[in-house]
Amino acid sequence: MTHPSLAEMIARLHKLPAMPAVAMELLSSLADDKTEIDALARRIAQDQAIAARVLRVANSPFYGLQTQVGSIRDAIVVLGFSSVRSLVLTATVVSGLPAGRCPGFSQEHFWRHGLAVGVAARALARALGRKSDNLFIAGLLHDIGRLAMVVVAPDDYARVIATAREQDCPLQQAEMSAFGFDHAAVGAALAQRWNFPADIREALAFHHAPTDGTPGGPAALIHYADAIARALDLDGAEDSLLPHLDPASIDALDLDQHTLAQVLAETQEGFDHCSLLLG
Amino acid sequence: MSPGSLVPIADVKPGAELAEALRDAGGALLRPAGYVLAEADLENLQRRGIQAVTIVTPRDPAEDSRLREAARARVLHIFRHSAEAPEAQALLHAVLAFRQEHFR
Repeated sequence: MTHPSLAEMIARLHKLPAMPAVAMELLSSLADDKTEIDALARRIAQDQAIAARVLRVANSPFYGLQTQVGSIRDAIVVLGFSSVRSLVLTATVVSGLPAGRCPGFSQEHFWRHGLAVGVAARALARALGRKSDNLFIAGLLHDIGRLAMVVVAPDDYARVIATAREQDCPLQQAEMSAFGFDHAAVGAALAQRWNFPADIREALAFHHAPTDGTPGGPAALIHYADAIARALDLDGAEDSLLPHLDPASIDALDLDQHTLAQVLAETQEGFDHCSLLLG
Repeated sequence: MSPGSLVPIADVKPGAELAEALRDAGGALLRPAGYVLAEADLENLQRRGIQAVTIVTPRDPAEDSRLREAARARVLHIFRHSAEAPEAQALLHAVLAFRQEHFR
């Protein structure tokens, strides 16, 4: 049986639904300090379903606000633009990028896992004293190549899922056996096409092979965040399996047990509240 | 997170622990989750018109032990290919401790 090659897969990416316009604007604002926050706030507020979901999370006890926020503008004033941007991006991509039909693929588990990795990456970034905005987005979108494979080749991907289940192996390994490339390669191509910032591109491309990225860099961090999200069981999938961990990349993060325990607690709490974004 | 039950404020005894944050009708925080209510708090909250609060309910030790074992079994299932791998040990131990403490 012949599967599409990586080149054919990339050529067929136009079948993917377009990234919602607001999400694209928010993503480009990650790399552009001159973004007009005011105009963007008005654009976000126009989508009432998204705005309502974001306000529900902003008003959850997690943020501990003294007063309720009633508008996107107020949320930006109180929580800051970058927090609101992360919430809006999550709500937008989750509802704006449908996966179509692929037996065995759960869109709900997919986005729960993406969100969990985003929240874990943010907790790790804070523990390591790094900027967390792009890492949250990188975590949220780290498996976006898988969604693309599901849309472009649903029947082939259904067989990958069945094989992974039969052989009890990670999906990524079954992708490599079936296609000769994995979702990270497709994700890297998508990130290029959508002009994502360099650190997010690196995380998407190398989160399963962090030694190919910057030592201790975004790919290594998403690599560990992926494992943390699985270990905490946040996606709701029954057959969860810890991904293979790269020893050198884990060592390079240099987390002690106390810090790791804090990261787990922060990830669990952050996920419990942010999961309100999923609908 | 501890399980809680909603109890009329008049029935709450001093020393009870809030299972979730207590807010007034406007959303302002009155007492955080985990706060232990004293006699004076109960009077104060009643004066503010609070009708009921969610307090932590005592746990059944046998049920706790069953939940802890279920959490442990689930973690070991997720780590089924890596429970012996040196690079997974730190995460395995941290997750076992966290999930067994929080019954997740």
